[in-house]
Amino acid sequence: MKILLALIKKEIKQILRDPSSIIIAFVLPFISIMIYMYGINLDSVRVTMGIKNDDPTPEVATLVKSFGHSKYVNSIYFDNMKDIETAIVRSKIKGAVIIPNDFSTKLAKGQNADLLVITDGSEVNTANYVQSYALAIGNSWLATSKYSHSANPPAINTEIRTWYNPDLNSHYFIVPGSIAITMTLIGILLTSLVVAREWERGTMEAMLSTSVKTIHIVLGKYIPYFILGMLSLTFNIFLCIVIFQIPFRGNYLVLLLVSGLFLFTSLGIGLNISSVLKNQFLASMVAMSVGFMPALMLSGLMFPINSMPVFFQHLTRILPPRYYVSFIESEFMAGTVPEIVIANAIYLTILGLILFAAVYKNTLTRLEKENTKHLKKKAAERRVNG
Amino acid sequence: MNTVEIKNLTKTFGKTTALDNLSLNIEKGKITGLIGADGAGKTTLLRTITGLLIPDSGEISALGFNPVTQKDELTPLIGYMPQKFGLYEDLTVLENLILYADLKNVTHNFEKMLEFTKLAPFQDRLAGALSGGMKQKLGLACTLLGNPEFLLLDEPSVGVDPISRKDLMKMVREMINPQTTVLWSTAYLDEAHSFDTAIVIDKGRVIYNGKPHDLGETAQEFENKVIDLMGGYKQEPSKIAENYTLLKDIRDCTVEADNLEKRYGNFYAVKNNSFCIQKGEIFGLLGPNGAGKSTSFKMMCGLAKPTNGTARIMGIDITKDPEKARSNLGYMAQKFSLYGSLTVRENLEFFASAYGIKFKNRAAKVQEIIEVFGLKDYAQQKSEELPLGLKQRLSMACALIHNPPVLFLDEPTSGVDVITRRDFWNHITSLAKKGVTILVTTHFMDEAEYCDRISLFYHGETIALGTPQELKDKAKAKTMEESFITLIKESEGE
Repeated sequence: MKILLALIKKEIKQILRDPSSIIIAFVLPFISIMIYMYGINLDSVRVTMGIKNDDPTPEVATLVKSFGHSKYVNSIYFDNMKDIETAIVRSKIKGAVIIPNDFSTKLAKGQNADLLVITDGSEVNTANYVQSYALAIGNSWLATSKYSHSANPPAINTEIRTWYNPDLNSHYFIVPGSIAITMTLIGILLTSLVVAREWERGTMEAMLSTSVKTIHIVLGKYIPYFILGMLSLTFNIFLCIVIFQIPFRGNYLVLLLVSGLFLFTSLGIGLNISSVLKNQFLASMVAMSVGFMPALMLSGLMFPINSMPVFFQHLTRILPPRYYVSFIESEFMAGTVPEIVIANAIYLTILGLILFAAVYKNTLTRLEKENTKHLKKKAAERRVNG
Repeated sequence: MNTVEIKNLTKTFGKTTALDNLSLNIEKGKITGLIGADGAGKTTLLRTITGLLIPDSGEISALGFNPVTQKDELTPLIGYMPQKFGLYEDLTVLENLILYADLKNVTHNFEKMLEFTKLAPFQDRLAGALSGGMKQKLGLACTLLGNPEFLLLDEPSVGVDPISRKDLMKMVREMINPQTTVLWSTAYLDEAHSFDTAIVIDKGRVIYNGKPHDLGETAQEFENKVIDLMGGYKQEPSKIAENYTLLKDIRDCTVEADNLEKRYGNFYAVKNNSFCIQKGEIFGLLGPNGAGKSTSFKMMCGLAKPTNGTARIMGIDITKDPEKARSNLGYMAQKFSLYGSLTVRENLEFFASAYGIKFKNRAAKVQEIIEVFGLKDYAQQKSEELPLGLKQRLSMACALIHNPPVLFLDEPTSGVDVITRRDFWNHITSLAKKGVTILVTTHFMDEAEYCDRISLFYHGETIALGTPQELKDKAKAKTMEESFITLIKESEGE
């Protein structure tokens, strides 16, 4: 116990004196939340598109006008195809709508009329917006135009009501979700360095020749970084709720508890990397690729897990961020849902314990791995001799 | 009574055999010196005795315990100081002591220790800010905590000046009790000569185990005998020097320091340093750790900016045109500073291009230097896998690849075994005879004897300058080591 306390005290002093750990724990979350708050926006955006009208009738002119009135579209009027092409190539417009010269004639005859929508496929998301805006504007114009009687009226009117996030403000889930990324960074990046550092500086060899036991080394790393992580978490939550005014509908105790479990798994990943690689540079590289990237890409935060290829859907199951992101999003937006909390907490606990066992196994008390077979043989020999 | 009993011990790492059927007893209550060339198996032996490594075969017992199966019982009784001692550089002196005391489960009673090591005034300083000698003292102090029955020290005096080296020896001798066994691995043969027993190992086998005085009455005789035991050293004309073509137009004063000064706030790291080194001279820069030798070196290479004064290499002012001045310079840094993951040939190719050797001449030059330096068999090997002596030779090859008229060597022989050192100095003296100017720092006082002139450096100032004989006369001392200590003490008294 005295040994463990000494190691924890030592580690905490090192953390306090090393500006980089403080930066990772407190400055980085701030920057990252700022980016997620102001830099990333998954909501519908205003796009600039071109319009070319080959059907100069007064009725169609109102359609051109309604493009100009839409709050989602900046429309620019073009006279010839060539200009549209140049504008798209130069990225001045993200797409174009071309009204063919037989547009009104066809509608008047009660036939289906065509609108040509050109989109810039190099930006797929924007292309989708252009397409759906053009369609929506066209349809709503049709409904109010004199041709409305000739078109088949839609049988069902859809009225959309979005629950939990009625403003469809993506910040409400991205900013809390970014906590998962920060916690991964602290858990994996910071700890991936600490064991490797002891090997590189020779402190491990000196420590192994004292009365230190494996459990002391393992807990001596877990506990201080757990404390640091939880402090950083509190700071993150404070930023989210108090500074950035993200609505929180859940329970703080549940939030801290499950976050603690998530931190436990992250520490496990980081310490495993560090104990196995024993080299700070290599460890930080691996930590970035197995820790940070999956947290960003495979957690369901940025890209819905359901839309991933099957292989990756299964891969997300063994990565802790998936469970945490699913938990924290629902905790913030829908409040505490016992089923979600319990299921995710159980997964995180299991992963955390497996990782802890692996850290324990990978923490050496000698300079090389003990060959258990060799030891058993030795012990047997001793029994025979003794 | 034996503290350690080893029978037929073998330990291999992949294809290399580090310990080869080694048998050995170490007597209780004695100080035993462990000597051997680089890669002879000294560190592996110490690590195996402490249980940090597991032998492939053979029997081993330390203090009656088997380190393989009873490491937990053994470790509380021993004090082991690894070569790269694990001080926490971001903890203070006192915090390091407290940590190791807690890890060893002993009381926090450091007064005697701090007083003895003269570390008391520095107890709140970060360990990383200590000089090399003080770091080693602190490491030894941490190792001595809890009065271990058996002390294993892996080259504690590497890179340490003669005064701190004496202090380390005194610490061990006075802090232990008569029952304590000490196993002390060292590259200093004069140190080993003063111990009760000397064990010489070579290629993982014991080639001598007995009283040092039985081998040689004096330290010098002892050294010669040990060299003979290790296969002997035949001085041959240096091929490196033979193949060296010096630039014709060479002035007399090739390296010149003119009132060189480096100040940090109120602290002078180097003060009023002036000297002129002649063509073909070996100029030694001696002084305790932290005296300002490395700072002087860095300023002379143009790596650090002097706060006052300047240095000239071949007449070129280092502050005005550092690139041009440096092109006349071959520099060998204190630590191995080549690319470990590149092969020997690739390292040489890189330095050839870095020093501006034209592409069409490069391949021929590299091939020539590989042959001259005897690196042919290792050309395709990664440089980090080479034994220390060969690494040193490669570093020198890289420093000499562009035929510089001036060579700067910063502790080139730290941690190198005695035979490699002799070979190294053979090349240095031969190069000097060819007209290469050499500026060198060292902690080996026997090496100082090779220098034509020595500048003794202390607290950033030159306290004595002259030939080795002049310095010995000045201090009225017989050996270089004595005069070093006397002159430093005298300057302290002033």
